[in-house]
Amino acid sequence: LQRNTSVSDSDSVRLEVSACLRCLSSSDSSRNITVLQTLLSYLDEASHGAAQRAQFSRSHYSRTLRVLITTIEADWVHRLTARQREELWDALFLRGPPEQALLVLLEAIGELSPSTSLDHVVTITEKFLQDGRLTNLLWSYCVGSAQSDSPQLRETLLGRLSALPDIMANKLHHNISPLFLPQQYYPLLASAMLTALQRTCQALRGQHQPDNINCSLAFVSQTLGKLCLQGHGGLVLAAMAPRLSACTRSDMVWQRVCWKLFESIPQRSMECVLTALVLAVSGIVGNLVLRNKKAEFVITHKLLLLQYKYETGVLRTVLGYLAADRDRRPLLIQVLRCICQAWANPSAVKHTPMEQQLYVSKALLLSVSLLKDQELQDLRSELLQCLLGGMQSHLDSSVLRIRCVGMVVGECLSSRMDNADTKLKFEYEQDEETRELLSLMTPSGWCEPESESLQETKELAPNTCSVASQRRQTTPPLAPTDPDSDLDSDDELTPYDMTEDQEVSQTSPPRYLRDCLESLMSSEDAMRVELSLKAADPLVRRNAFAAREISVQMSKVLLHMEDKYNIQGFLILRHAAMVALAVTDCIPVTQYLTTEFYSLNYSLRQRLDMLEVLVAAAQELSLPTTDKKNSSIISALDVAELPPFQGHDPVHWRQVVEKRIQSKTRRISKGASQPATAKATPNRYAPVAGYFFFPLLKNYDKPEVTFDLLGSDHLVLGRLIHSLGLFMHLAVNAPVAAQMGSALLDFVWTVRYHTDQMVRRGVLFAVCSVFLSMPSQNLLLDLGDMLFETRTWLTDVAEGDPDADCRSLAVQSLVLLDKSLKKQLKDPQSPSLES
Amino acid sequence: MLKLSVADDANVQPLASLNDHRMSHPPPSPIYTLRGAGGPLNSLHFRCYGEDAPLLFSGSGKGCIHIWNLNTRRTNKVIEGHSGSSIIWVCTKRSKDTLISQGRDMQICLWDLGEGRCDLLDSVWTGSVGFCQCSMLETSPISSLLAFAGQQTEEIKIIELPSKIQICTLMPVAKVGMVMCINLFQPDSCPGPLLLAGYEEGSLLLWDVTQQSILSQVKAHPDPVMCLTFDPTRLRGISGSSEKNLSSWKLDEKNNLQLQGGVTLANPGVSQLCIREDGKLLASAGWDSRVRVFGWKKLRPLAVLQYHTDMVLSVAFSDHQDPRQRLMAAGSKDQRISLWSLYNES
Repeated sequence: LQRNTSVSDSDSVRLEVSACLRCLSSSDSSRNITVLQTLLSYLDEASHGAAQRAQFSRSHYSRTLRVLITTIEADWVHRLTARQREELWDALFLRGPPEQALLVLLEAIGELSPSTSLDHVVTITEKFLQDGRLTNLLWSYCVGSAQSDSPQLRETLLGRLSALPDIMANKLHHNISPLFLPQQYYPLLASAMLTALQRTCQALRGQHQPDNINCSLAFVSQTLGKLCLQGHGGLVLAAMAPRLSACTRSDMVWQRVCWKLFESIPQRSMECVLTALVLAVSGIVGNLVLRNKKAEFVITHKLLLLQYKYETGVLRTVLGYLAADRDRRPLLIQVLRCICQAWANPSAVKHTPMEQQLYVSKALLLSVSLLKDQELQDLRSELLQCLLGGMQSHLDSSVLRIRCVGMVVGECLSSRMDNADTKLKFEYEQDEETRELLSLMTPSGWCEPESESLQETKELAPNTCSVASQRRQTTPPLAPTDPDSDLDSDDELTPYDMTEDQEVSQTSPPRYLRDCLESLMSSEDAMRVELSLKAADPLVRRNAFAAREISVQMSKVLLHMEDKYNIQGFLILRHAAMVALAVTDCIPVTQYLTTEFYSLNYSLRQRLDMLEVLVAAAQELSLPTTDKKNSSIISALDVAELPPFQGHDPVHWRQVVEKRIQSKTRRISKGASQPATAKATPNRYAPVAGYFFFPLLKNYDKPEVTFDLLGSDHLVLGRLIHSLGLFMHLAVNAPVAAQMGSALLDFVWTVRYHTDQMVRRGVLFAVCSVFLSMPSQNLLLDLGDMLFETRTWLTDVAEGDPDADCRSLAVQSLVLLDKSLKKQLKDPQSPSLES
Repeated sequence: MLKLSVADDANVQPLASLNDHRMSHPPPSPIYTLRGAGGPLNSLHFRCYGEDAPLLFSGSGKGCIHIWNLNTRRTNKVIEGHSGSSIIWVCTKRSKDTLISQGRDMQICLWDLGEGRCDLLDSVWTGSVGFCQCSMLETSPISSLLAFAGQQTEEIKIIELPSKIQICTLMPVAKVGMVMCINLFQPDSCPGPLLLAGYEEGSLLLWDVTQQSILSQVKAHPDPVMCLTFDPTRLRGISGSSEKNLSSWKLDEKNNLQLQGGVTLANPGVSQLCIREDGKLLASAGWDSRVRVFGWKKLRPLAVLQYHTDMVLSVAFSDHQDPRQRLMAAGSKDQRISLWSLYNES
């Protein structure tokens, strides 16, 4: 009997609803208001039994709404008064099961074209959001009262919920209501989720109450996961995290609810949620990392070792989170081991980008600073191993920044491990980066979220920042003023230039080049040697004739000279003197230096010196010489250009007047009205470029006992290639440039995939300069097939090289190459004139 | 509060840049030089007040006292009174016409310069073989005290002029070496005059002349104190030595000498120090042939004057009544006197 009544009930509901809907869709509109009221009554508790209502919500509600949407253009709808429309038509959307209403509304918005109807639907949606129907939606899923729950429907609903701002924006473009903007919508959704969680808590607490229900957080978790997956995690968690962390601090129920929430987040969105979460705050996750493999992987591995885009603060949060709890502590140790390995790995030092190495170094320092002394003792041997290996591979690197990071980390680790006696101490320049690294060892900015209330932590962070920034602002003005500055001081007296106030020396500098050479060779008097070294550069330049006689001998002496007397600026002085020699007597000196470069028994420093001297000399030679004579020539030209006296020639008077006006008018726009200041001077470098360049290409692959260019001495190799690139670059417009270019490309081809990034940078620089300096017609002619191989290699480097400089250099050379080729293909006949 | 500080910054900025700009001014040149002293110039003394032509007295190593007229820039007169011995100190009394000179012939001579005369009035035998310059303190228009190094190397004698009565002899008990430089002054706080003396061993001693006792002692330099000067209004002084540092010191209320730090010079050796009367400038005569000018209050280096080609031996500021006319003179071993006009704008 009971079954019968229920069947008859359901039948009656179905019949009545069908009648109503038929009525609505027909054009006859007289009864429609009553029909709407009837339909609305099914949503009311008073008028129908629970079974009937459930029946309506489950089976007929969506249909009803869809019919309503189709009739939205109908005349009777337009005839409704505003009040009727609000109470009957709109109310049907706002009182029924929210998930169905939302789906229908969004579907309608997607289908309708811009019109008043669309506006109407949008208004209802807005109302839907404002009335907190989202909360009802979530809560209905929590208590499992949402009737229509299939996986597909759920997935659709999640998609719609998380993408609502996008859907609205796509449809409405600029006329969008602020409520639908992500900045407002996602916090709204977040607060709806919070309310749902809060109700769950209340429900859990109220065991004795009649409405004792089972709550499921799956849907909320899924929503959160979906939101984070789509990249809205920041906005949502910024709204949720503070509240959650405040509630979880004291409340056991909240804690359980919260942990449950994060545990039931789907696997594939776990990472997004966690990263968004650690950006916000970490205390609310509980021991999730211990229970969830995926979470463990994200926190202990991915965030620390695979990615490196995050700020230092995130590292602090993650590691701090691991260190905060006794259960998580073993994970910290495990993480530290991994980081140690990553840091000390010589291959990682070579092949990973600088930024990642910095990130790993930061993580290492942070985790070491979080260790307790006991743990440190246990890990001591491993840390030492890491320190030794890592220091070696870092110091081996040819990149200054990497060496620097290595030194700082080494210092910090050793000082943390050993109390007093055996600390490492390096000399490096303090800069922003090293200071930041050093500051990581003092655990100041991070405070345990468990021990302090969130408000405090929140305030603390900006405070420390602002204090720091204030300090930064105030220190520079303080520095120049004296501590006890008063108005009545010497400040009114402005000092004169006192740079001339140098120490007076007793001996006088040599006046002849041969004296200078003599004292450089054999003098034991520090003062004389210093003065001779200082005098060498000007002496050589002044007495070019005398210098040619002894140039090679003097180069030899200077090259082998050691800083025995600790002369100030020794390297610069010696360099200047050698450059002067190479410029004055170019061919013999370059021959000497280029042959010595590959000979036995020189230190790396000396070989680098040779390269530096050659480069500086080439640069100086390629600069145009400035002569005093030029000005007189120009003025003579000026006079010649004056028009000859035109006596009786009946020039038209108007022309004469115009000329005068022209000459009196100042043309500001004409920049170069005065005789051209840049006068053509012969390029002194072009004829000798080959002497600098070609001898250095020989012998590079012949390893000596003391010098293995292709082996361990890659520092010199990088410099050598760079210097060759410079010679190439300076040889622009020189006849020999084409041969130099193809020779250089051939040369660098063998080392283009060198493991040292300095070498790779040098290679790319050389390639750049080839494309810059080689005449474009030669480029295709001489290089031919090589060019296309080079191109593929360059694209490869531009995409895949771990070093940022290498990538940008590769892009640059590609651009240059394309430009040059394009020019050549467009206009193959014209010789290239531009540099 | 914040606004205020911002406004201050804005005000300060252009001033600072102005300073930077002026910083680059090249050091000045002497306005004129005086040649013909014929010897190293050990001592210089201006007398520029009153209506008469401004005069500069110089004592040379050849035993001549030159009286330069600063208007004509020529010598008015040359006095040769120390039988060819080097003159180490010249000074005039307030009562214009008396000149005092000290020579290496162990004599201090008083000269009457009134109405174009140059008569030897009196002379005092010191017995000192050192280079210590005398110090004179005029206690009244007619009488004055004169302190000089005595026969024994550590001895300082003080006599009253013109009576030549010996007032006291100051002999330190401790071993401090030869007396190198002395300065006699009358502070406001004490009834009697005090005497500052620098010794060979590098110590500075403050003597109470009436009690004949040492009030204070500091070790100002590791090397002999070559020169010292004292500013009685600020109770601060400074001393130089044969090393690179000038040492500044202060006299506190209990008449204790307190070292205050100092300045480091580029080259060692200072022969003389002089403070301008207005207490704004300090000049040092350096062995490196340069005169250095400092702000006296904070010892801020202001200028390095390069003109001379040999050691600068003496430096003096003029006592012009009009501050704009003030001069600084530097005498050198290269037998020239250079005259400079510095910081006279205010």
